[in-house]
Amino acid sequence: MMDAFLFVGLPYLSLLLFVVGCIWRARREKFTLSARSSQFLEDRQLLFGSTPWHIGIGVVLLGHIMAGFLPKVWSSLLTVPGALLVVESVGVACSLLAIVGLSVLLVRRLTSGKVQAVTTPADLVVVGLLLAQVVVGLLSAVHYRYGAAWSTGTVVPYFWSLVKLEPDMTYVSGFPPLFKLHLTLAWVIILLVPFTRLIHLLALPLQYLWRSPILVLWNNARRRREAVVAVARAETRREFLKGAAGVAGAGGLLALGVMEKGVNYFRGPQPDPEVEAALLSKKLQRLQQTAEERELELERQRNEMILVARYSELTENKGKYFIDYAMAPALAFKDKDGLPLLISAKCTHLGCTVGSEVDSQGRILCPCHVSYFDLRTGRPNEGAPAKAPLRHIHWALVDSTGKVVARKAPGKPLEGTVDPATLAQCSVYIVKPRSNAA
Amino acid sequence: MNLLAFIQRAEAYLGERLPVHKLSYDAMVRKKEVPVHRLSWGYYLGGLALFFFAVQVVTGLMLLFYYQPTVSDAHASVEYITEHVPAGALVRNMHAWASSMMIAVVMVHLLTTFAMKAFARPRELTWVSGAVLLLVTFGLGFTGYLLPWHQIAVNATKIGLQSIEEVGAYLPGALSEWPRLIKETIQGEASVGQATLSRFFALHVVILPLTMVAVLVWHLLSVQLHGMSQGVDEPPKWKEKFFPTFFIKDLSVWGVAFMVLFVVALCLPFESFYAYPLFEPFDPKGSTPDGIKPEWYFYFVYYPLEILPFWVVLLLSLVAGVVLFLTPWIFRETSRRTLRLLAAAAALYLVVMTLFGEQIYRLFKG
Repeated sequence: MMDAFLFVGLPYLSLLLFVVGCIWRARREKFTLSARSSQFLEDRQLLFGSTPWHIGIGVVLLGHIMAGFLPKVWSSLLTVPGALLVVESVGVACSLLAIVGLSVLLVRRLTSGKVQAVTTPADLVVVGLLLAQVVVGLLSAVHYRYGAAWSTGTVVPYFWSLVKLEPDMTYVSGFPPLFKLHLTLAWVIILLVPFTRLIHLLALPLQYLWRSPILVLWNNARRRREAVVAVARAETRREFLKGAAGVAGAGGLLALGVMEKGVNYFRGPQPDPEVEAALLSKKLQRLQQTAEERELELERQRNEMILVARYSELTENKGKYFIDYAMAPALAFKDKDGLPLLISAKCTHLGCTVGSEVDSQGRILCPCHVSYFDLRTGRPNEGAPAKAPLRHIHWALVDSTGKVVARKAPGKPLEGTVDPATLAQCSVYIVKPRSNAA
Repeated sequence: MNLLAFIQRAEAYLGERLPVHKLSYDAMVRKKEVPVHRLSWGYYLGGLALFFFAVQVVTGLMLLFYYQPTVSDAHASVEYITEHVPAGALVRNMHAWASSMMIAVVMVHLLTTFAMKAFARPRELTWVSGAVLLLVTFGLGFTGYLLPWHQIAVNATKIGLQSIEEVGAYLPGALSEWPRLIKETIQGEASVGQATLSRFFALHVVILPLTMVAVLVWHLLSVQLHGMSQGVDEPPKWKEKFFPTFFIKDLSVWGVAFMVLFVVALCLPFESFYAYPLFEPFDPKGSTPDGIKPEWYFYFVYYPLEILPFWVVLLLSLVAGVVLFLTPWIFRETSRRTLRLLAAAAALYLVVMTLFGEQIYRLFKG
């Protein structure tokens, strides 16, 4: 019953009175449509009260309005990592600012003699209500964390149910008392708008944000002279503040970004076990590859002959890569006469690795600068970037018993004899340059 | 000429080129002025190059936290930076993009100072130190290219180093072996491998940056001591204070440059201009993939190397190198008008070779 009054009756009552009251006041009491400024009575405390209060409450209200009227946009904004934290922090900071400002204003109302003279009970009620409302709001923001996010699914639909004249209390009836108080106070404050100085809300003084301030002062010659100086000073200060705010804002954003990225960069990734295992296995694989290469190197230093292929693996038109004694790539083919043909694959131009496919003219191609090398002679084609021929490599054929049956050093005749019948069981070895071992 | 007179003359020469007696806050900050004329945009380029160098130092140090300079780990660690470290891709991209931007700015800086005859007496040594800085910058580019240890890096480095060996064919007698020995000394072993990686890493991370800083001190000090070169023939009608007017403009140029760099690094991976196989880990046993090329800033010498006989390019680059270092004395009497034309011609050559080098190569080689 109580809830029904607070969350359905009161809202409609206050909205009705708000609309009717504002129209009545605008028509009947035209000249009371003002904030009832007391700046000309006292301006020092006012500056330190009014400014933080209006800035703080402005930002906080903007957040409420965004969430209330554009809930989808708002909640998608909040999905950006860190955005919720930023919004909540800004909200808390601004409500603290508003509380400080309002407290100064309240103290001023209660202590300054001149201001007392123009203070009505309604003013005190308004300032007290506002202070209570901001404090309750701040408390609920701290107790029920991340209201910026959860309100879009609770308070906002409730608000829209009121607007659509289908009031639905189920969203709010389960709220904690603190938050119910915040809602109730809100409706009370709205109700009071037409009857108090709060009417100045309707002026929606957005241009206050950038226009220069209006000075309200006693009109006499001395004050007028002072006013010129005061205006000039205020203007400079304003420009400086604007610049400083811009630089601070930009610097703050930059620092925030750099910190966020920088700190995480040095903290390093926190991979889950699966990713970590994958990374580790890749690393191990690379290490094994390197180990294999080192083994090849050692093998070449220690051994006079090294197995590079089974004879049966060799073909005439596609070479098999192996590493020669100079640790450079080389290719093994089967020649037209059935004997092995081993040739260096390190291009004599700039050291690229020559391709293994033999073209129709019996040549292999270096892809880097297009040199064709004749397989038989090793010589590059006319006009190729490479000038020197590819080196042929000294090989030996070893049969299944481990006996060398034939060998051929480049430029020398074949030693030994090859029996085509046993050829298939033979293996091809390379022989260390300038060595006579068999 | 006796020794005493020689020493005195040397002192007088150096004293004029590096007027340390002007070393004061007043001369270097308060009274320094920057001429305003239609070429004054050239005055921003040196500072911009310095800014990019600073970016390189910072991002380079950051990469150093994760990079591992061994043949088994280098590629994996770079991949780790790009794929796993938070903001790692951004830092690496910034390092790669800023290197390109730095080299581009340095080249334009060279051309504008040439066109403005900023090397005229007493600024000869400033020019020479700038030429050294240019070589160091290219050295940094060349050594840094190898570090990720992917196919294109290792193969392009092989090609680059091999061209040193090529020089041997043009040298007589025992001298012909020297280029190969030099190449193997740089390489550390018979072919590009772990030794090369370690050496290039040391060069890229310690030796060249330190050299750069040392020469930069000389270069910047002499710029500050001599003040801005006039740059045009008739005395400029208007000058602005270096501090704070020009300084603030300089800072804003840096700000814009950083924003451009940041956005580009955020949106465009440096590797996106090449096919992936070139970025697989280097495979010493497989064949070299197609499309091995050096970085774009070496195109102006790479494509001529592909098109012309080696000795022609060798001769031309020797001449270019000598002219680069002797510019202050060769062009002592040349008018600014002629210098501007020469600089424009050089710029045209660089732009055409960099942008259309491949097409020109195809034109010649079918």
